[in-house]
Amino acid sequence: MSDTVTPLLAATGLIKEFRTGRKEVFTAVEGVSFDVHRRQTLGIVGESGSGKSTTARMIARLIDPTSGSIEFQGEEITQRSGAALRDFRSGVQVVFQDPYSSLNPRHTVEEVVSAPLRYQKRKAAGGYRRMVKAAMERVGLNPDHSGRYPRQFSGGQAQRIGIARALIVEPKLVICDEAVSALDVSVQAQVLELLVDLQRERDISYVFIAHDLAVVRQIAHKVAVMQKGRIVEQGPRDEIFDDPQHEYTKTLLSAVPSIEPRWDAGRRT
Amino acid sequence: MALYLVKRLFAALIIMLLVVFFTFVIFFQLSPDPAASICGQTCTPERIEAIRYQLGLNEPFFTQFFTFLAAIFVGRDYGSGASAVHCNAPCIGYSFQTNQDVLQGIIDRLPVSVTIAVGAAVLWLLSGVAAGVISAVKEGTWWDKGAMMFALAGISLPNYFVALVLQYLLVVQLQWLPFPTVVPFTDSPVQWFQAYLMPWMVLALMYASMYARLTRTNVIDTLGENFMRTARAKGLGRGAVLIRHGLRPSLTPIVTLLGVDFATLLGGALITETVFGLNGVGRYAYDAIAVNDQPVIMGVTLVAAFAVIIANIVVDLLYRLLDPRVRVSSS
Amino acid sequence: MSAQSTETPVLSVRDLRIEFPLGVVVDGSSFDIARGQTMGLVGESGSGKSMTSLAIMGLLPKEAMTTGSVRFHGDELLHRSDASMRRTRGDQIAMIFQDPLSSLNPYYTVGFQIAEAYRAHKGGTKAAAMTKAAEAMDRVRIPDAVGRVRHYPHQFSGGMRQRVMIAMALVCEPDLIIADEPTTALDVTVQAQILDLLTEVQEMTQAAMLFITHDLAVVSHISDHVTVMRYGRTVEQGTAEQIFSNPRNDYTRALLAATPRLDDAVDLPEPILTNGGE
Repeated sequence: MSDTVTPLLAATGLIKEFRTGRKEVFTAVEGVSFDVHRRQTLGIVGESGSGKSTTARMIARLIDPTSGSIEFQGEEITQRSGAALRDFRSGVQVVFQDPYSSLNPRHTVEEVVSAPLRYQKRKAAGGYRRMVKAAMERVGLNPDHSGRYPRQFSGGQAQRIGIARALIVEPKLVICDEAVSALDVSVQAQVLELLVDLQRERDISYVFIAHDLAVVRQIAHKVAVMQKGRIVEQGPRDEIFDDPQHEYTKTLLSAVPSIEPRWDAGRRT
Repeated sequence: MALYLVKRLFAALIIMLLVVFFTFVIFFQLSPDPAASICGQTCTPERIEAIRYQLGLNEPFFTQFFTFLAAIFVGRDYGSGASAVHCNAPCIGYSFQTNQDVLQGIIDRLPVSVTIAVGAAVLWLLSGVAAGVISAVKEGTWWDKGAMMFALAGISLPNYFVALVLQYLLVVQLQWLPFPTVVPFTDSPVQWFQAYLMPWMVLALMYASMYARLTRTNVIDTLGENFMRTARAKGLGRGAVLIRHGLRPSLTPIVTLLGVDFATLLGGALITETVFGLNGVGRYAYDAIAVNDQPVIMGVTLVAAFAVIIANIVVDLLYRLLDPRVRVSSS
Repeated sequence: MSAQSTETPVLSVRDLRIEFPLGVVVDGSSFDIARGQTMGLVGESGSGKSMTSLAIMGLLPKEAMTTGSVRFHGDELLHRSDASMRRTRGDQIAMIFQDPLSSLNPYYTVGFQIAEAYRAHKGGTKAAAMTKAAEAMDRVRIPDAVGRVRHYPHQFSGGMRQRVMIAMALVCEPDLIIADEPTTALDVTVQAQILDLLTEVQEMTQAAMLFITHDLAVVSHISDHVTVMRYGRTVEQGTAEQIFSNPRNDYTRALLAATPRLDDAVDLPEPILTNGGE
């Protein structure tokens, strides 16, 4: 049955080349395919230079793929522009790594959070303020602080502002590009929990880009492992983590330090 | 590297052509009739016509332009018959008001401009960089604030004002210096030095102010770099940390600036040369502007542009030598 | 703890307090590190862990006020003159920083930068120091060390650059190595290699090590003892075994619980695998 289901997002054969010189071309992403269903999270993991962030930017339509197709709700979106692209953007939002540099420091939280509404020229009875306050409340921010500036918030709170901004247009898909990487662990855990709660509540799908495999395990239904621009392995979370097939996945998993003091591991003799 | 140089030179050639073209458009098409200004006040329509013919001004625009361009490579004759004047290649124009080949006029005056530029550059580089470094190291102290105020004044005050004040103070009031009269260095080094000292100071004040501010910013940025902390963690002394690790990254960008500023001065320090009565390229242009001697104005413009373009190439090559990141990735 | 406690510790920090005009960043930190032992200093941002390391190195900004005591082989380090501190810094106490790229000067070869550390303390000719640099690079297993001394930092990969930093720290054979988040900027596979290298280097040199990190998993791999800091205060201290198997402090427990684990199976909402509505 699941064969006939149209995924929310389907990427097929995505390639991104960057011109690095007159004749040299650097292929950052080399034929990547995956899909994401509704209320599902795809984790994309990889080390620096694996192409995971480039992939994220392509599916967010922040950069154009050199070739390949991206279908959102069954419709090709790689060629969209103008109003059609805006329409796509109302369904897909991005949360970035560094909460401070991705929020305009001269705009108040209210301006930041309502920006996607303005961009999409949404009409709202009673203005955007009510929506902003609701979004802030939902992500655990005090709605009375909507007049403050991003710098007045801690890293975790600033990331919540980023999430509120993504949520305000009620997207179907949120792309998280290392969204929790810069946060302290205790804050990171809270933000991850928030993301999962929002998914349960609103049937949101995530494409969750991260270098930290342990974090991906906390949020993703399925995982794609990228190395040098290719997906070397993808599958359901537990299969990837418990029974990795590809050598690189195995290396990556074995490199992740787990909490096991070396007195226990018997490394000291 | 060789390929890079060829590319740069080719690009420079195209820029030069564009400069020639636009200078030509501006001077020969938009300014008052050059024939009339050569002809002077006792002029008849017949004489103007003759001059126009001699200068080729009656030709269509593009013919004039290509004649001008060709003259750079093969030289040119103005007029014909007995009144013809020959201008040797590379010919960038002939001044009928001074009856001189423009390029020769510039070359004659270039030593003065070079002397001014070299002396001023040495002065501003030493004082500007030193002041900037000290300000950065003593950031926020009275020295820093004072030096930066002074620098701001140095940038804001017009050149001629500084020149006149300096002349008034040093020559008239304090009488530390005689009124500057240029003599060849070999005749009297002291008098030569006295003649150039004030122009150097005037130009150096403006540039030193700019360089001090830039150096200060660069050094402060560098002081905050992680590798400075590493250098201290290694146990290096403050001097080694600052000079070895701090100055090189801070001063490399200054080199770029220096090359271009120096080249700009080769094209003449118009005001300074005029105020101090130095017969350099700037003065040549100044005099030409006064009498609308267009070939000279245009010639000086071209030579100045040429100097800046060449300086840019030299600076780029120098930068490659100084910054290993640029050097290694390009080889 | 038992065997080493009779020996004078390499480093002994007592009631260290660091105050800036804007507030106290470290409030009463105390710990010892013995020869060949590693103290893991863990905490989140703002816990004061990096300030502690800078205080030991004497690299705090001028406006910082420090009280308490930091003894190295029994000698007080706090409030020593910069000139006297400089002789210890980089020689007997060496430091490894978080971001190897920005921690190396882009204008000089790595060989020069390592040799510089050597010459600052041991003197000798430039050529001799360069040989020492190559040896140090070889010891941290940088391939073709003799050839690569002439390379610039940007010509190395992230992991190799951190090896260069470690070589620089080792070149004078210090008794104490302070590693401040040395693997945070690195990829996991590289992180594993660097952690192995640090463990190996320590076993070889028997240097004491202060390992600062926000990552409990990393600290559990490398430390004999652990100090957990929060808002400048030490909330818990003990052997790695005690901290990780029997944490007493609530904050330590919360931190352990928040650290994502590979073997954790978290309940997630079921994906919708039908077309249209539910």
